[in-house]
This record gives sequence, C-alpha cells and structure tokens, in this order.
Amino acid sequence: MDDIKVNQNPKLGSLDRPNSYIGRSLPRENAKKHLDGGGQFVDDLTLPRMVHVAFLRSPFAHAEIKSINTNDAKKSDGVVDVFTAKEIDEVCKPWIGTLGHLGEMRSPEQTPLAKKIARWQGEPVAVVIADSRAQAEDALELIEVDWAEKEAQVDMETALDSNAVVIHPELGNNLFWTRTVNQGDVEKAFKKADAVVEATLDFARHTGVTLESRGIVADWNKAENKMTIYHNGQAPHMMQHIIAKHLDLNEGLVRIVSRDVGGSFGIKVHVYPDEMAVTAISKKIGRPVKFIADRLESFTTDIHARCHKISGKLGVDKNGKILAMEIDDLSGIGPFSMYPRTSAIETNQVLNLSGAPYVIPNYKAVGTVVFQNKTPMCQYRAVGHPIAVAITEALIDKAAYKIDMDIDKIRKINFIPDNAYPNKCPSGVPLEDLSHEASMDKLLEIMDIKEIEAQNEEDFKKGVLTGHGVISMCEVTNPSPLFYGVGGAHISSQDGASIRLEGSGAIHLSSSITEQGQGTEAIMKQIAADQLGVKMESVRVTLGDTDATPYGGGTWASRGAGIGGEAVLKAARKLKDNILNIAAAIMQTDKDTLDIEDNNVIRKNGGEGITLQKLAETVYYRGHELPKGTNAELLATASFLIEGIPFVFTNSAMGCQVSIDQDTGIIKINKFWAVEDCGTQINPKLVEEQIRGGVIQGIGGALFEECVYDNQGNMQNATMADYLVPMAYEMPDIIVDHVTTNSGRSIIGAKGAGEAGTGGAPAVIMNAVNNALKQVNAEVVSQPITPEKILKALGKI
Amino acid sequence: MKAAHFSYHEALNLQDAIKIKAHDDESVILAGGQSLLPALNMRLSSPTCLIDISKISGLNEIKIDGQTLFIGALATHSDVMNNKTVKNNMPCMFDILKMVAHPAIRNKGTHGGSIAYGDPAAELPALAVATNAEIIVSGQNGDRSINAKDFYLGLFETTINQDEIVVGIKYPLLKKGQKIVFDEVCRRHGDYAMAGLIANVMGSKNDIKDLKLVFFATGDKPDVADKTARLCLENGYDYDKLKNSLSTEIDFAGDLNSSSEMKLHLATVLIKKVLSKLEI
Repeated sequence: MDDIKVNQNPKLGSLDRPNSYIGRSLPRENAKKHLDGGGQFVDDLTLPRMVHVAFLRSPFAHAEIKSINTNDAKKSDGVVDVFTAKEIDEVCKPWIGTLGHLGEMRSPEQTPLAKKIARWQGEPVAVVIADSRAQAEDALELIEVDWAEKEAQVDMETALDSNAVVIHPELGNNLFWTRTVNQGDVEKAFKKADAVVEATLDFARHTGVTLESRGIVADWNKAENKMTIYHNGQAPHMMQHIIAKHLDLNEGLVRIVSRDVGGSFGIKVHVYPDEMAVTAISKKIGRPVKFIADRLESFTTDIHARCHKISGKLGVDKNGKILAMEIDDLSGIGPFSMYPRTSAIETNQVLNLSGAPYVIPNYKAVGTVVFQNKTPMCQYRAVGHPIAVAITEALIDKAAYKIDMDIDKIRKINFIPDNAYPNKCPSGVPLEDLSHEASMDKLLEIMDIKEIEAQNEEDFKKGVLTGHGVISMCEVTNPSPLFYGVGGAHISSQDGASIRLEGSGAIHLSSSITEQGQGTEAIMKQIAADQLGVKMESVRVTLGDTDATPYGGGTWASRGAGIGGEAVLKAARKLKDNILNIAAAIMQTDKDTLDIEDNNVIRKNGGEGITLQKLAETVYYRGHELPKGTNAELLATASFLIEGIPFVFTNSAMGCQVSIDQDTGIIKINKFWAVEDCGTQINPKLVEEQIRGGVIQGIGGALFEECVYDNQGNMQNATMADYLVPMAYEMPDIIVDHVTTNSGRSIIGAKGAGEAGTGGAPAVIMNAVNNALKQVNAEVVSQPITPEKILKALGKI
Repeated sequence: MKAAHFSYHEALNLQDAIKIKAHDDESVILAGGQSLLPALNMRLSSPTCLIDISKISGLNEIKIDGQTLFIGALATHSDVMNNKTVKNNMPCMFDILKMVAHPAIRNKGTHGGSIAYGDPAAELPALAVATNAEIIVSGQNGDRSINAKDFYLGLFETTINQDEIVVGIKYPLLKKGQKIVFDEVCRRHGDYAMAGLIANVMGSKNDIKDLKLVFFATGDKPDVADKTARLCLENGYDYDKLKNSLSTEIDFAGDLNSSSEMKLHLATVLIKKVLSKLEI
C-alpha cells in the first residue's frame, strides 16, 4: 500500500517529488529484525559476572513483618547474598509519589522493599541474589518471615468509612486526592432541563499485559563511578534522573539503555520498587544484576488501572440540546501513589475529558481517589479516557432514548462545531483543530446505519439481540510541560533530534523518542529522509540510549510523532540548509538554485550536481578545498515542545454492532468502525495499527479483562490462562478511516494516535450492548461485560 | 517462575518407565508437558523425577482394534484431529479437539495426557465417560483396562496406581444410529469452558431412543446426568424441569468465570444446543 492521499499538509511540500515519504505506508525495517528473532531485549543480555535476583513478595494484602530470618537462604546453593529493606535502604533513598500542580496529594514515603508492613499482595519484602534465577527461587523458599496478617482495606467504596482500615495511620484516613471542577451552575440548569438521565457505571481493574515483561540489568562500574542500566522502559532520561537522585549518583554518569522493548502501554513508564532494588543491589555488590519479572510478578506488581465507579447525570432540553452534565468518580489506587507521575492522573483525566466533544455550558465533576490494599494503580494507555468516554456516551444514549431522538442526531446537534475552534472542554481545558462533525459524518457514511438497523430488527425476530452504537471522543496527546513538569517532576516535555551526514554519505539520526514496537524508528526515518531528500535506506536511527541520543521525554501519551517527529523535521531542515550552503560554495552558485533529491544535490534548472557522498568527502577529508570561512557543519540538532496549550488533542468517532446470545450471554462484536483525526499521518499503516491495537485493548476492557480479587485482597487470576485478553478469535473486523485536521502547533501537523482505540472502544461496545438489551428492557452498567452479567441483566440467572 | 530441582529420565521403553515410576512415589510422567510444565515452573508441583515417555515408540498408534477405536496415549491432539481412521469412526473428535486450546498446544499435548490428568474442565475425560471408553493402563503386573466412569474419582484424581501409565484409550465403535454430539460455552475460543456437554445419542432429532449426558467444567470430574437424560427422553426439552433435575443431580462448583448458578443455567441450555445439532 502506498497511499499519499492522506498527506494534506501544504507545509510539507508537494507530494509528487522524489523522496516524499511522509504519508506513505512504507514497511518498517525493524519488523523484519523481530521476525528474524534478531531483536535485543533486556533478557537477551548477559554481562560478565552478572547475577540474578528473585524477590520474596508479600503473600498477604496487609501484614506486619515481625521478623525475617535469611540465614538458611544465604547458605543455599549459588546464593551471593540476601537483602531486606535494611540493606537496600542504605543505598537507595525513599520516594514520594506526589506532585505539586494538582492540589494536595497525600502519599507516604515508599522504599524498594517493604519495611515492617507489607501493603499489597506482591509487594517485595526481601531479595535473593544468586548465580541463576532458579537458584534464587530455591533460596526464597528458605527465607522465614514471621507474618502477622492484618485486616485489609480491599474495597474502595468503603475506604473512607469511619470503620475503614487506615492503611497509613499517619495520614488519618485513606484519602489520596480529590478534585472538583465546577463550570456554570448545574443545579439551575438541571431544573430547566426537559429530560434528565442518570447512570452509574463501574469499571474493573485491569492491567497492560505487555508481551515482554518488565526487565532491568543494572551494572555499577565502581572504577568510573558509572551506573549503566539496561531497561525496557519508555522514558530513559526520566529514569536517569530518578536513579541518580535516589542512589545519590552523578546524573551525568548514569546511562540508561532501552533497546528493543516488547510493548509498554504506559506500564513501563513508572518507577517500580523491585527495579529500584536491583539498581541498589548492583551499587552495593559491584556486579551486574538482572531482574526479569515473571508473569505472576507482572500481574501482581505491574501497575493496574481503571478501577473506577462513576455516577453521572445529564440534562437536555426537548430538542436534545445538552444543558448540564454532572459526574462523581471514585477510584482506588492501591496503597501508594506511583512515582513520579502520581496516581491522580487517571481521575484527573476523567474530570477533564468527560463531555469533551460537546457544548455543555454547565458542568460539575468530582473525583475522589483512595488508598486500598491492592496492587498500585497508575497511568495505562488512554489514561482515564475509557471512563470519561463511557459515562458521557452512555448518558447521551440514555437522553436520546428518553426524548426519542436518533443517537447520531443528538450527538451532531451538541458537538462543538468544527469551525468553532479554538474552544474548550466543558471542564475548561483548551481544545483546537478538532473535527467531531466531519468525523461523525464519515463514520456514518462507512457504517451504513440503515442497513445495521435493519439487521438489528431481523435478528430480533430470530431471537438474537443485536444492537449498535456510535460515539465521539477527544484523545489527549502531545502533552506540554503543564502535564508533569509544572508539578515538579523531572520529565522532559521537550524532545530532541540530531542528524548528521557522515563521510560515507550515510545519514545518522538520533532522537530522544523511544520505540516499544509501534514503529517509532520507521516514522523518524521517513520524516528525516523526506525532509532531507534522501533514500530511506541511507538513514539509520539510534533511539533509547542516554549516552547517544539528545535529551528528551521518551514515548508516552502519544507524543512520538507530534513532538519527536517535529524535532526530526526541524533538524533535517537545518541539515539540509547547511548542506545546500556548502554545495553552493563548492558549485559556486546561489543556494536557492539547489535542492536535494535521492542523495544528490541537484541544480533545479538542470546541469550537473554533486552527490552527498562527494560533498561529505570534500568536507571531511579535503576541507581545504572549501572557500575559507565556509560553515561546513554536517550535523544539525533541533528540539521541539508544545507551547501555549496543555495538550494537542486528537478526536475520533467510533461505531460497532454486537450480537448477544440470550442463552449463553456471549457477546459477539460483528464489526467495528473507527474514524480518527490525528492530523498528518506519517505512516498511515502504522496509524491504523495503533487504532486497531488500541481497539483490541478496548475490547479487552469492555468484555474480558479484570484483575479479580477476593475479599482478603488476594489476586485470583494472575495467569494468562485466567486473566482474559482478547485473542485473534475475539478480534472483529475493524474498519479504519480518517479525517485530517492538522495541528497548528507544528509544521508537521501530526497529533497522537495511540489512545483513541483503547479509550473509545469500551464506551461504544457498552452502548451497542445496551442498545441490543434495550429491546428486552435490560441494561448492563459494569465492565467487563461478562456473559454472567448479561444473563443476570436478562433475568436468566 | 523456574522449576525446583528434579531429575530427568528419558524412558527407553514402557517397562523402563514403569520401573522408575514404581520405585519413586514422587516421580511423574512427562508426555506433552502442556499441563505439567507450567505447574512445575510455578512450583505448584515439585516431583523428584520426570519420566519422559515421549520417545517411546508405538505409543502414538491409532487403529481399529476389534469393536473399538484405539488411540495411543502419545498421539497428540493434532495427530488425532488429522487422522483418517478417527475421522471415519469418530467424527465428533475433530469438533471436540478444535476446542482444546490452540494449535501450538495441540501439537504437543497428548490424548493420554489429557485422559490421565483428569482435569474436570477438559473435554476428553467427559468424552471417554460419555462413550463408555476403556482406559488401558500398563503397570508392574501387566495391563489392565478401566472403564472411564470408574477411572475418575475427583479433582485431578484417578484410579491409576503409582506404578501405572496410561497407554491408550479404547472407544467403542459407534453403532448404527448412534451419534456423539458436543457443545461448550467459553469466554474465549480455546479457553476452558464455563460448561460443556457431550451427549451420546441413539436415534434422530425427532426420535431419540437413548440418551446419555456427560457434562464437564461443572464439578470435580465428568458429571454424568442419567436422571436428567431420562427426563429429557420422556418429556422432551423443558428448561425449567431439566434445570431442576440437573440441580439435584450435579453438584455445580463455581469458578472465576461462572458461578454455580451460571453453570447450572448453561448446562441446561447446552442440552438444547446439543440436541439441536442432531439430524432430523
């Protein structure tokens, strides 16, 4: 596929020129490497003198550690040492997962290993260091812990009750954070409304389930005072700062290498106690230390997300115009707020994003975030979006049903018009360059609603409940410093790119953006080659190494293309300018008469040019041939950050049709449609992979995924057999289409595309299920929508 | 997630394997390893010795043996699915095995392994019970044949002795007018079912002469529902009556994906689903 129609951005130059790669679905080179088994993941790395660790983790959700006896474990075969909090704390300072820009957050100090009290099942308590992981696990069985199990506060809904178990007595209660947004006067507006609808939805905890589990190799080099960390994370420079800060190292002498990473979804952008312990152990014993989380550890210690219960109310007039919306959201985040991004952001996004596509003059939102004795929760792909979109779109469908209006019509009359940007979310967050109207029109065009409705009716006659839904949403991408930096976190919102022409004529590009499997490397290459005028194969890319790339934020919150891509574009344009200046001097002509095509400097009006290789050879090996004083720099560096707006929003419209088996409660997604407006698509196929992959994760949240806990706080399904993620068989056809509204914040015009699928699919699936159930006056309000919940709603059990 | 220490013995022949197994109470048989290896890695099981029988020749034979279809213990699910003799004599086997996990697992997992493991949620033990199959085991005192209904005692518990190894399963050949029909309900394709049913039917849809119902993923072993089958034979499909009967006949045990109430409901509707598959 070689589709250049999608590139409608005049700032990027004409589309029929040579080397026009932006907007084309070019194959990604690194996919071949992975198919060939040639990737290098953290676990592929073996260093001389390397040791392995295994953690003793709390078997209880809440327990006092009265004593730990490690004597027998230390004598076990192959064991180097066994550490508890005492030894680790000697080299690693504690952290606190709070930030200053979102009002008061209360979370206590956290240390790599639990001291005195363990607060979730899976919290690391002691660590065995041994020659092999198997030997370390053997020794784990010999550690004797005198546990005194305490009552656990498992349920978030009772966490603030007067008789709740207070997890951190020094805080007085289990409240972590709360925020209220109040725009206009909802009370007054609801009184004026012709119809008021209400809904309470709950969302189960789920987690990211990356194909490659978390892993780290820490290598402390005493002679150089240098710490090298091989880490499958998303934000190398953030980790560099964190490790230097807490291990008291010179930040410049901490190197983070993140080569191939097998999926992240936000799971790998946080600071984990076990990983901090590993760096501390390396510092302490002076040897490389490897830790690879096994799947059980992934389930009980990777961050969880989405544990929310939200109530909402929407008031409309008789014409369907929304007058007011009110939401009240409760979330339980485990016993600590994660570091350094905090565990407040998901709720904050729910408050910011609810109602975002629509004109809602009166809006009130309350968010409450509490502690509980479960695995910590934090930001995971499409942070907060599934909750915000689901409550908004559920209320809108209910309002439509109540006033007997088509579900697409009620949305259309309430959208912020496409020509009314810049504008604001109901919560007050600024919005620009969005296209809800055009996207919904396109969605309805590709869905053929009439045919779908006819099929719904036909199925109903056969006893099958079939229904459909459509939704609109805003997607937070490309964050500015107002996301984290302003709150005091050392997380760069600026990204850099450095590009050079080498003596061989090869182009080398390095970027602070990282690759976790989504094709970052490919799009960076496309931008560089396109802007410079060289063939794709002449560009090689280095990512994920703090010693070798510019400083920057890394890849999260869909910021790679829009921020990192713009930096590459700027750097490539600078280098091109330098090259043309040098060529003009060599060719003794005016720079404006020259251009670069296919690795050659050409004369626009014809005549002999010069290859980039020849030009580079002249610069590097025969510099004396250049006129005196020529600025012969073949290296250019540029940076970019979003200014003047908190985020560059993307928008999306989605639709789906589902059928429900009334006997078994099994839901089948017949088809799924998504229209995304992410501005310039650098590689449409990769954009569609983001949408499709995101939708699949959204299907997971809507129908399958749930971290099941018993009432003592034990996770019940921490295996891939019991924690259900959608597999090939559960994936419907997903039709993807686009509307293109470029971001005015950059030349490249790209916005992020990674969140929408995950953020929107749960809402549209739930609406479609409820559209189907409406035919028999039933309804579901809880995700995942399991067969048992369906059968209960149908009154079958 | 690394297994604890164990010794490994690659058995040269059946007698070799039986000898080791008889002398070491804590040794276990390794065939396809699809259930055993995860259990070892999660340290849910710490046997002293793994006796690898996968190299023993002849144990994967599939043949007609008198009035039975014999499937050797080491035949993999893929072998069985793709075997002509099986297809001609027990056409239901393909449909059943298609629901056992995924191709990679079916390429390694063995017929005998699934029968011997006795997972109450697995299809094959229920099939063996429903078809009145004989399970052939070999031990120090030679071979013995155990009827499937006597083989399963409880959760992962069978009548097999420490010195014995399952060597094959004999399924009686179907008589004229006899049919095995099957269905199950699972969250995802290839998952263990929330409930499943194998019915052994004599007759046609409109004229069922005999009916045997064996449920799986409902209790601690394949659940035979003779009383409900009789009721169904006499009265036809009546949801409420059959549900009531099943509730007295089977001790439904809920799991993560379905409560006991859900399993009872699904078991009841499975009777309808399975019978609807019969030809008129």
